Amino acid sequence: MKNQWVTVFLGYVKVRLKGRGSERFVNECVRRGMFVWNVKRIGNEALTFHMLLKDVRRLRGVRRKNECDIAFIGRYGFPFWQKRLLRNSGFLIGFVLFFVSIIVLSNMVWNVKIEGAKPETEYLLVKELDRLGVEKGKLQFQMPDVDAIQRSLTNNVPSITWVGVELRGTAYHLQVVEKSEPEKEEALSPRNLVAKKEAVIERLFVEKGKPAVAVHDHVEKGQLLVSGMYGKEDSPTLVPAKGVIFGETWYKSEVEVPLKTTFQVYTGEFFVKHYIKFGNFKIKVWGFEENKYKRFKEDAMMYNIKFFRWSLPIAYEKVSVREEEAADRQYTEKQAIEAGKEIAQQELKKKLDEKATIVGEKVLQKRLENGKLKLSLHYKVIEDIVATQPISKPDIQKESKEKPKSS
Amino acid sequence: MRKLQQQMKSWITKKMDLPADVLMDLPRITLVGQIHIYIENHRGLLVFSDTEVRLLLKQGQLLIRGNSFVIKTILPEELLLEGTIEQVLFLNE
Repeated sequence: MKNQWVTVFLGYVKVRLKGRGSERFVNECVRRGMFVWNVKRIGNEALTFHMLLKDVRRLRGVRRKNECDIAFIGRYGFPFWQKRLLRNSGFLIGFVLFFVSIIVLSNMVWNVKIEGAKPETEYLLVKELDRLGVEKGKLQFQMPDVDAIQRSLTNNVPSITWVGVELRGTAYHLQVVEKSEPEKEEALSPRNLVAKKEAVIERLFVEKGKPAVAVHDHVEKGQLLVSGMYGKEDSPTLVPAKGVIFGETWYKSEVEVPLKTTFQVYTGEFFVKHYIKFGNFKIKVWGFEENKYKRFKEDAMMYNIKFFRWSLPIAYEKVSVREEEAADRQYTEKQAIEAGKEIAQQELKKKLDEKATIVGEKVLQKRLENGKLKLSLHYKVIEDIVATQPISKPDIQKESKEKPKSS
Repeated sequence: MRKLQQQMKSWITKKMDLPADVLMDLPRITLVGQIHIYIENHRGLLVFSDTEVRLLLKQGQLLIRGNSFVIKTILPEELLLEGTIEQVLFLNE
């Protein structure tokens, strides 16, 4: 017998023969090389058998010789299934549509939850998310990945310190930590204000306490600025000293600026390739341009397609190819000094707090060495120089002993 | 003349130790218990019913009796029959 799979693949029919001489009919079929199987006798004159679909045409010649009634009473195999599927194609389309819609729905954003933010911050966040394209009802592979969203939010929304972005299924969860907690009026313990570093006092404003210095005074690091203890010497009143004292301070910084630098810059030319990945196997679906760039950089973004909660081993990958170009930058000495100053200022500003201002800048030394300009710079800065120092315990004990005496 | 040919063939097979079914067009019948019968070298189907199958051979006929016969495969010279086989008879006119 031929392999059953072959018959299923080619398609076969069940034939009923009626009339006398059905045996002769079968003999004739076999002699002509047709493949016949499962011959059964039904009743007195009828006979059924199976034969391949491709042999059905040749039945006509046999029939001319033998007077038998032929009826096809069963159709099996692949060609018939195909026909039936075509006829019931609505069913097939529905089946495919079902999976497609489930996959599409599984990859959509259904919710953006923001936790731990005040309404104003939440509004800002939602606006920023809109700009990034994170919205309800959008497909997830249209938007940047979680890390990029997180970075962009932290950079662009000033009122938050940190935001944790997490993608759980079809919902984005944003955990927000806001920068400015409502200021609490601290219960301060008695303290003194001292200098944080060596400075010349520029401005001073004392809210509480007894100032110990005046404008234009030179103070050393740790020197008392405002005392939290005043009144009579034997029974002083203790307060937490409070005030803002700006002083002129000095910074020295060293920078090195190479005169000639080579950069890799993007030319702005790029094209995008789209892939669909099945496991490790990649198929390019779009972006068939030839890569003509001499130097280029590829950025890949991968997105796993989800089906309900599960990630399918199918992924969508977008690769951006950007052309690069080597660019030379040549400074003259003057330009190099300017650039060096800028670098030094930026570095300094990182160290200082927001209220500080740079008021003076002086080049102390410049040296040209191996194509590099070495600069030594001096800066004058006006900044808050206050540091706090609690009034030490022995003092408080002394005070409590003395108190009953005075009252 | 024909008889002479037969006798020649029979003699050659005996003398040269050749398989008889190849040289003499004899049917080769394989029986598997009662359920299968496999016949090679037949010359066509004569009668086929549930209980009886008659096959034409080069010489004479083969009659198989039994129950619920189904021809599983039929090829120009081979036949596989399934069912319950009770008798296998050679008919020589």
